[in-house]
Amino acid sequence: MIDGGKINIVLAGQGNSGKSAVFNYLTGLHQHIGNWAGKTIEKREGTLYYKDYTIDVLDLPGIYSLTTYSVEEVIAREYIIHHHPDCVINIIDSTNLERNLIFTLQLMELECPVILALNMIDLAKKKGLTIDFRKLREILNATVIPTIASRGSGLTRIMDKVIELRGEKTDYRVHRYGKEIENCIKQLSELLQDIDLPYPVRWIAIKLLEKDNDITGLIRDKRPEVLERVKQLSQALEEIHGHDSSIVIADERSHLASRITREIVKITPHRKASLNDRLDAITTHKFTGYLVMILILGGMFISVFSFGNWLSGWFESLFKDWHIWWNINLGTTFLAALGWSAIESVLALVQIAFPYILPFYIILHLLEDWGYISRISFLMDNLMHKMGIHGKGCISFIIGFGCNVPGCLSCRIMETKRERFITAVLVTLVPCSAVSVIVFGLVGKYVGLLWALGLYLFAVIIIFIVGKISSKLLLGEPVELIMPMPDYKTPQLKTIFYQTWDSLKEFVFIAAPIVIISGVVIQAINLAGWMPYISSSLSPITVTWLGLPAITGILLIFGILRKELILVMLAAYLGTTNFGEVLSQQQMITLAVVSMFYIPCVATISVLWKEYGWKKALAICILEILFAIILAGVLKRILDLVF
Amino acid sequence: MYNVKDNTFLTDLEDGQTGVIVSIVGGRAASKRLADLGLNPGTAIKVIGRIMFSGPVQVEVCGSKLVLGRGLASKIGVELK
Repeated sequence: MIDGGKINIVLAGQGNSGKSAVFNYLTGLHQHIGNWAGKTIEKREGTLYYKDYTIDVLDLPGIYSLTTYSVEEVIAREYIIHHHPDCVINIIDSTNLERNLIFTLQLMELECPVILALNMIDLAKKKGLTIDFRKLREILNATVIPTIASRGSGLTRIMDKVIELRGEKTDYRVHRYGKEIENCIKQLSELLQDIDLPYPVRWIAIKLLEKDNDITGLIRDKRPEVLERVKQLSQALEEIHGHDSSIVIADERSHLASRITREIVKITPHRKASLNDRLDAITTHKFTGYLVMILILGGMFISVFSFGNWLSGWFESLFKDWHIWWNINLGTTFLAALGWSAIESVLALVQIAFPYILPFYIILHLLEDWGYISRISFLMDNLMHKMGIHGKGCISFIIGFGCNVPGCLSCRIMETKRERFITAVLVTLVPCSAVSVIVFGLVGKYVGLLWALGLYLFAVIIIFIVGKISSKLLLGEPVELIMPMPDYKTPQLKTIFYQTWDSLKEFVFIAAPIVIISGVVIQAINLAGWMPYISSSLSPITVTWLGLPAITGILLIFGILRKELILVMLAAYLGTTNFGEVLSQQQMITLAVVSMFYIPCVATISVLWKEYGWKKALAICILEILFAIILAGVLKRILDLVF
Repeated sequence: MYNVKDNTFLTDLEDGQTGVIVSIVGGRAASKRLADLGLNPGTAIKVIGRIMFSGPVQVEVCGSKLVLGRGLASKIGVELK
């Protein structure tokens, strides 16, 4: 019987602070992952039962400050202000104490109850940093607990403290700025004394001086006369300090963080460069860095594909007799056939999700937990910039090679809407594992491996050109890369497990319904006997323009479900898997190119729909259909000259 | 020994060199973002490495490593230490 009552806590901290590890350790599998209302940003909630209490834990997005630079930051700050959590646990990366403390100071300005978790204290020690956390406790007059989240150490102490502090008024020392700034804050606070807003008055005053857009907007509605005063005060500050008032305040805050760090941290310098530094130097070097990247990514793709092909083949032989069994027991009526197509869709999903997506996610999260993913962003930033996005976009491309669905979902790591959209569009052009089946099964096998690899290169060039064009067409400034580079650390199995589980779950939930429904619909059209009409009505495109057999019209429609169906159905319709007998080499290359670009598969379309609305999803589909038809037709005419 | 030059930017530093930030030329959003990460006038900043052809720069600030796009790095005025 749990009767101690309910407690709400939130986890807040910068990226790479080990926040997810804390969240996973506390809530285990009692997690619920959804979206913030109206936003495409993940909301992770979970429940923990501890000492008669039901503790609801909310994991705020990883952010670097509480200004309104990104959607995540607005979400975090609004949540803390409006939902009054019983406690905010600030997860701090002890190896980057100074930078993390800047965030802590901002958090404390919100005047909410805060507990500081000095996380990764073991790694800090390894780095030669001795942190006097008692002194930090004294300076801030707040609870400070050293933790090692990956092992769960220190977390029960935090929970005990959460229960103990519940309902108590916070009494930590709110830090003071320099005299001139404090004077401005005081004057504004007096003017705002009786304002009807849920924010602390001192915090509003600080944000006004920092020229925060949201807060300035609120005050403009409620007390426009105050803004006049703000203007005068910030001008005065700017005259004294020679910088914009927002910078003056941020400057003082970070100097304070720096002063605190100097007071509490003792550094024992290593005589030799640490393993981490040497590894970092090699993996980010302008030559060896790329070599290592090619080896790691190459190894990743080769192992995922060879494992995937093996397991997928195993599944195939496992499911082989199911269709016959279904037909024997349920007959071949219209309904039974429709039912089978639904089951077939589920089986197909299993055959993609487990052999390809699962190992792909495991390796990806392993690289992420190790700290390597940020190195890829660093190495690729340059090239990505030419397409109007920054280095982080490269991660979505890599994921897209496995499957476009998680590739498009991962675009959430980009900061602005514009960049998210460009990245997502480009990801839909990345040849996923299903497209690879076509490229290698058709072109690789019957035309030559070099041609198949050439098609990959061709795809990369196309993506580059489309990126270049879309970054010109979509207005807006490209965002520069600002990314903390985490130290390498030993990957934790538990973290990898939870992250893989989350990603796989999301993939299945998004892909399954749409794949099943559209599978049934297309089968219904097929059973109604409309397919010949469709293929003949498409023949001006398929036969006249692309020089392909008329049957490909039907294949391309089925291919929307899953791209590799193009090959599977081709074999079924022709009654042979020896495609060399029925297709010429030009036709194979043309078909492979069309399959690569002509439309995202339904599962990917559903993600685009969910993330960017149906209008944009539809626009992408139409544009890609036109683009692929034109491109492949032109290519066919060039190939006619070659062969 | 100081080697004070006018208009030296982060991108002008050699790998391994340390400078002190004197100014950040650029929009308020970018300056604010940098300030929140601890990059302010007066902060020491060390260039660790960079990628060729105007690629990003890896720096060390306040004991943390950070990657900055070249465009941004070229807006951070520094004084060589």
